[in-house]
Amino acid sequence: MFAAVTSVALVGVDPVPIRVEVHVGGSKPLFGLVGLPDTAVREAKERVRAALSSAGYPFPNRRITVNLAPADIPKAGSAYDLPIALGVLAASRVVPPGVGEVVALGELALDGVVRPARGALGAASVAAAAGRPCLVHPGSVGEAALVGGAEVRGVRSLGHAVAVALGEDDGDDADAALGEAVAPVRVPDLGVVRGQRVARRALEVAAAGGHHLLLEGPPGAGKTLLARCLPGILPVPSREEGLEVARAWAAAGRRPVPGRPPFRSPHHTASTAAMIGGGSGVPVPGELTLAHRGVLFLDELGEFPPHLLDALRQPIEEGVVHVARKGISVRFPCSVQIVAASNPCPCGYAGDRVRSCRCTPGAVARYRRRLSGPLADRLDMRVVVPRLDPGDLLGPAGEASAPVAARVSAARERQEGRGRLNRDMGRAELDALAWDTAAVEHLLDAVARLGLSARGFDRVRRVALTLADLAGIAAPGERQVAEAVALRGPG
Amino acid sequence: MSRADRLRLAFAGMHPLRRAGLIERYGSARTVLDAIRRGAVRVPPAARRAALQPAHRCTARLQAVGVEAVMRGDPGYPEHLAGVPDAPDVLFVRGRLPPTPAVAVVGTRRCTRYGAGLAGAYGSALSEAGWPVASGLARGVDGAAHRAVVAAGGVGVAVLGSGSDVVYPPEHRGLHDALLDAGGAVITEYPPGVPPNGWRFPPRNRIISGLSAAVVVVEAPAAGGALVTAAAALDQGRPVFAVPGDVDREASRGCNLLIRDGAVPVLGPADLIEALSLVPALAAVQRGGPGAPRRGDPVVGAVGPAGATVAEIVESAGLPVHEVLARLTRLEVEGAVRRDGDLVLPGR
Repeated sequence: MFAAVTSVALVGVDPVPIRVEVHVGGSKPLFGLVGLPDTAVREAKERVRAALSSAGYPFPNRRITVNLAPADIPKAGSAYDLPIALGVLAASRVVPPGVGEVVALGELALDGVVRPARGALGAASVAAAAGRPCLVHPGSVGEAALVGGAEVRGVRSLGHAVAVALGEDDGDDADAALGEAVAPVRVPDLGVVRGQRVARRALEVAAAGGHHLLLEGPPGAGKTLLARCLPGILPVPSREEGLEVARAWAAAGRRPVPGRPPFRSPHHTASTAAMIGGGSGVPVPGELTLAHRGVLFLDELGEFPPHLLDALRQPIEEGVVHVARKGISVRFPCSVQIVAASNPCPCGYAGDRVRSCRCTPGAVARYRRRLSGPLADRLDMRVVVPRLDPGDLLGPAGEASAPVAARVSAARERQEGRGRLNRDMGRAELDALAWDTAAVEHLLDAVARLGLSARGFDRVRRVALTLADLAGIAAPGERQVAEAVALRGPG
Repeated sequence: MSRADRLRLAFAGMHPLRRAGLIERYGSARTVLDAIRRGAVRVPPAARRAALQPAHRCTARLQAVGVEAVMRGDPGYPEHLAGVPDAPDVLFVRGRLPPTPAVAVVGTRRCTRYGAGLAGAYGSALSEAGWPVASGLARGVDGAAHRAVVAAGGVGVAVLGSGSDVVYPPEHRGLHDALLDAGGAVITEYPPGVPPNGWRFPPRNRIISGLSAAVVVVEAPAAGGALVTAAAALDQGRPVFAVPGDVDREASRGCNLLIRDGAVPVLGPADLIEALSLVPALAAVQRGGPGAPRRGDPVVGAVGPAGATVAEIVESAGLPVHEVLARLTRLEVEGAVRRDGDLVLPGR
């Protein structure tokens, strides 16, 4: 006798439907599980056996074969307990075969209680596509409900799941108290940043065009605070974007803070796998993907090992990171905005007006070299954040985030016609734009006199475009080009 | 005292005070050399070998490294320095020594950006006014002053604490060459091959002040070489100028102490040029006018002689940020200002 229940596996961040096929037959009491299960999946046998008996169902004394199809996708975790149990019940005809007509996901405790498991968001997508109800732990209903069009039901126990699958019960509503706590993240308001008018301007421009930004300055100048303010002036993610972010985080078994672009601040000792994704077995996303549609803040850029910065370069450019492991290659999305912060030298006081730098020239040169690698080449803007005098700290509060965010949104709307963020404009697209002749001449003067490189030339044009969007004018003029040159990035 | 003996004694590379003491005891270079040969005077083996080599070897060595030995009393010996009681007997010279007295711009090796900016401002203003600039070749103020001199097309004299063929610090090799190319000179009282030992620098400072009509201390902490130079200048009767700094600023403490003890405070390059013209002995020195600074533009006005950061200019110019940024680029493209990282400096 045969039954099948649908569940889900993640390949990268994409949900793939998994058919949990159960065959009960023969007379030798055996329980076999095939289809690239990892250790946690294989242990499902023991949990399912105990949960069935605790829930009062007879366990068939026959040969049970479970296949997780397609058999070539690796499966991980404890989420297949519930579909396997439902499949066993359906295949042994203990309950009507209709219980298999669902998408189910959940871990089983030995007493038959359902526990939350990773992948609720993916299960809901699969359920929506298949037009079937989606059974998950009540704590995961909120996550699963992000997918529109899915009929999500919270189930507390195996018995409850059977009743819901047979249509005898409507299931529980979302129960946030049972769900994973989402750590509240406070986004500071720009109003707390006093002084720093140049850096504030740069932050606004960076937000408007999605430009990668380098903040340079001595310790304690407020670089980190400025960077943390950025999510507060970026546009609120659309439903689509919010879902993308939730998918990316779900693949790492986490839930993002809704309604804000993510802000990730990995430490410079992070491993390559932690940064770009990987790990043994089924690859999980790294910080780069957790920052998808948000901000990746690299504090102390000069302390990051060069190979790590090198590994970031291509994904940042393509918006996608490919991670290959034995037998599997996955793509994680990583459309991120980089904000990097750096001291001007190892001690932090090179170029300070008052304090002398204690670094040897060699050490400063080495430090600078690290900043001028291939990643620095992608930073469209650089701005120096000077240490404030105590007088400035007593000065008037700066403009709050809300009006800045409104200007940023307006500038973003103007970019929509171009089909991409200004950050992602290539040379050909920049060439195709209408440029003011005075602007072009000024730019060429700057190239000749200030030694702008070809890449620097494009970066200036991208920033000038954003300045025009902020000013609400169709084509960048001389004024925008001049300001963009003043804000130009390193290298 | 024959020239050959004086040259040989200079090749011993002794501390100037020791050398002067020996001359006093034994009478002349020849008798000192005899005493070294006999072993009556104990000197390090390398110094002994150097002193006892025949004079033609010394000349050959000088030719090999492209250095000229100028002796006190020679026509090429700087007149201004010759009047100093403990002036070096032999100067090893690369390049051309200017015929007129210089102005010394000195300060700490560990200068702040403010100090470096000021040193550059004084260096270029003095060059434009026609004064040669004397300094060391060290990191910090010395280097900044000389770089500005080279950039302004002026004459710089770098006085080393090592042999002429030993450029220290090594990253100033380019600056060293540029000084020579621009018509300046690199001089030392130590023979070729002598390493930059720490003890060689304080006596070197008397040459810097000796070459100069006046000494400007740009930025100096409470102890250091710049104050040694200032003390030497006072001994030699040279006027000492100092740039004042905040009273609680470590890096300016030496300057402020000098002012307390009677040095003339200077508030800017124009101030210095004017003060120099008032020193009677110097009034005869030919001067040109410093380039007229561009007036009127608030952004240019906000860039002081020592330069200012973009943030400071935004604060003092009283214009919107985007306006200041755009103007800075225009001025930079015109050459009215130049940028060094975040620092905006007056252009030329």
